[in-house]
Amino acid sequence: MNLIGYACSYIPVEILSATGLNPYRLLHGDIDLSKKGERFVRVDACPMVKSNLAYVIENQEKFAALIGSTGCDMSRRMFDILSEHTKIPVYVVNVPRTDNPAIYNDEIDWFVKQLEHFTHRKFFDETVKNEISKWEAMRTKLRCTDKKRADHPSLISTADFHKLMTSYHKGALTDEIIQNQDPTDKPRVYLLGSAITYEANHILQLIEEKLRIVGDFNCGLSRPLGISIQEQSIDGIKKAYYDQPPCVYKRPHQRYYDFIRGETIRLGCVGIIAWTLDYCDVHEFELQKIENVFNLPVLRIRSDFSFQGLSQLKTRIEAFAEMLCTRI
Amino acid sequence: MYQDLTPEKIGLKEWSKQFRMVGDSEIKEFKYYNNDEWGIYLSPPATFMVYGTRQLKKLKFDNSLAALRLWGFTFNESERLFRARQSGKRIIAAMGDLGTVPVIAMAFPDCIPFYPDCTWWTPFFNESTVLLDKASELGTPEASCFVRSTLAAFHKMAYFPKPDIMFASTGASCDDYSCIMQMAEEMGYELNWLEIPFRRQHRSFHMSEEHAVTDSGFKYPKRFETYLVNEYKRVWRKMEALTGTGDLKKLNASIEKNNRVRRLVNDIKDLTQTADVAPFPALEMMVIEFGNLYGYADIDEWLDILKMIKDTVADRVEKGIGILPSDAVPLAWVTPTADPLLLNIVEDLGGRVVATEYVINQALTIIEEDIEPFQALARSFMNASLIGSTEERVRQIAGSVDSGKIAGVIITNMLGCSHCAMETRLIEEKLKNVPVLAIDVPAPLGITEQLKTRITAFIEMLR
Repeated sequence: MNLIGYACSYIPVEILSATGLNPYRLLHGDIDLSKKGERFVRVDACPMVKSNLAYVIENQEKFAALIGSTGCDMSRRMFDILSEHTKIPVYVVNVPRTDNPAIYNDEIDWFVKQLEHFTHRKFFDETVKNEISKWEAMRTKLRCTDKKRADHPSLISTADFHKLMTSYHKGALTDEIIQNQDPTDKPRVYLLGSAITYEANHILQLIEEKLRIVGDFNCGLSRPLGISIQEQSIDGIKKAYYDQPPCVYKRPHQRYYDFIRGETIRLGCVGIIAWTLDYCDVHEFELQKIENVFNLPVLRIRSDFSFQGLSQLKTRIEAFAEMLCTRI
Repeated sequence: MYQDLTPEKIGLKEWSKQFRMVGDSEIKEFKYYNNDEWGIYLSPPATFMVYGTRQLKKLKFDNSLAALRLWGFTFNESERLFRARQSGKRIIAAMGDLGTVPVIAMAFPDCIPFYPDCTWWTPFFNESTVLLDKASELGTPEASCFVRSTLAAFHKMAYFPKPDIMFASTGASCDDYSCIMQMAEEMGYELNWLEIPFRRQHRSFHMSEEHAVTDSGFKYPKRFETYLVNEYKRVWRKMEALTGTGDLKKLNASIEKNNRVRRLVNDIKDLTQTADVAPFPALEMMVIEFGNLYGYADIDEWLDILKMIKDTVADRVEKGIGILPSDAVPLAWVTPTADPLLLNIVEDLGGRVVATEYVINQALTIIEEDIEPFQALARSFMNASLIGSTEERVRQIAGSVDSGKIAGVIITNMLGCSHCAMETRLIEEKLKNVPVLAIDVPAPLGITEQLKTRITAFIEMLR
């Protein structure tokens, strides 16, 4: 029982880590887990939420605590179900949904007190500084790798980058580096949308057979790299997490679009892959806007984690890549 | 003077025939915005079918004059909003919070709050997929809640006038509606966003902090009140800027008036749900409950209608008469149905709705009148159905089950609705002492014999 599970980019991993437990982001997405999750929710729930439910319930002995957020509605409600079906202590934090930092700042203070109480340990300034240094060092290292992904030509695939980010999200980053660079001139695309789950690496590989993902805005990939803590204190954590490139669910979401636009230009992307999970309202409602505002071709990929449509998906990706090549 | 006949549910034809007995003076007596010239709304329901509310030919209505008033008034809302605009009133769109922002808006002169959200019933009343199809064209996913029709209504600009100001609540609310409000903003509507905190339950392992308890018995961190107070004060300032006025005494008066509505509705619900024979139909009762949100854009007239309904219901209860057989099976209904016909069908098949959880608990609770008004609104909103846990949401229903008042529960789900997807199984578990039927509300015109058979079998089993 050494894991502290969490489910949102606005939950500071430094605070989780200060408990002495291992932060473990709930990013499971697997068809079998998803089916098992349907014991607890309707079929029209998000497949990642269903997978995470099943994963935690099957592995509850591994989790000392669970940290939820008010991110998306289904994710928030997932913790309600976990409270009912496990004995794991659950804490749900109000994260920013509008431009109102007061709630978030107070919630982080509350959260720190709760975790101190829960673990019977005080998060002294020194502890907080150490955690910030440790996680900033990890993010710095990952940013270096991310730069190689964004290079011209791109030197590292997102499928490989995903493996590193998986380690980060499982709180188990080692000194592992990507040894085999894989430079390519494949069309450069940007990935955005629903979370890229731990089990979704094969999708990234499939996409990158014909394309190269050089940047992304997905939970499960590079989102934590947008967090840079300047002041080594709880206040510094609050500010950095609040000011990160905003989640699409934050209202109004213009800053999200401004950020993506800036990134697609900076990275020289010629297309966008919009990855959505079934019933993921937060991203599915954005698809038409994504197609309209960036002036880039968009390939929609929708998934329930099943493998049924993989050959069709492969054909669609190939056609998209061919179309991008003719435009280049 | 019109005399109510023996209570029963009747269709359009019968109402048209019966309407001949309503005198001219009575028709002229009932008017919205107290306007003699164009404010008259009493007409046989068939009138509204001619205007496009096609489902009325299938629905059955209570045959009282009070119910006739209710239907005339509610189906007239779209016209009323455009008339309000024509006559120089300001139109205030409240979205997502279901019940609190309109109380503030009503404190300003000639301001008419309404909920675009309520357009979700329109495709069903109209038996038309026009709004849903348009919403899809505008980019909403097919597998999302019927409330997406609201977006199409914003686009078509024919269902309500362009609001003078809009307040959109997000946070601990459903995602699909938050997305729809965002899409409305992108159409050029200027939104003022409010943040709703999650009503976190205190758990035994939580370190204590100052808590408060709502009327419904929900415990929440006291500081959440402060957030809401700040949000409501922002609404107040926006309204002041819009109207050039602002008198807090009028907010107190608005709270008092809304409480009058809420008390009347509570009385009507109590009378209806506890009588030996059901005195009033479930469909009308749903319309009555939702009137608490904003008084259907004329709260004074709505208050008067409610008084008349209460008198009618009280009279029937006293006489022991009603609209359903005395052996109708008592049911609780969880989550409002987008298709009103389902309420009729359940009653026709032998059910009787004696408890409801229509996701608007915040609009049913009485707002405190002896404390600072913004705090009172905040404390009232903390009773909201969807901002807390599922257990809290169905606690009252569970209590009624335990006391033997309810034989079964019907949950209506909307495909793709985030809280339906996540809550239904848990509600079934929480109400395990009673049979539960969870049904998906089909798209307009989609009620099948199969669905009716399921309801029939459920009620037979309960018998």
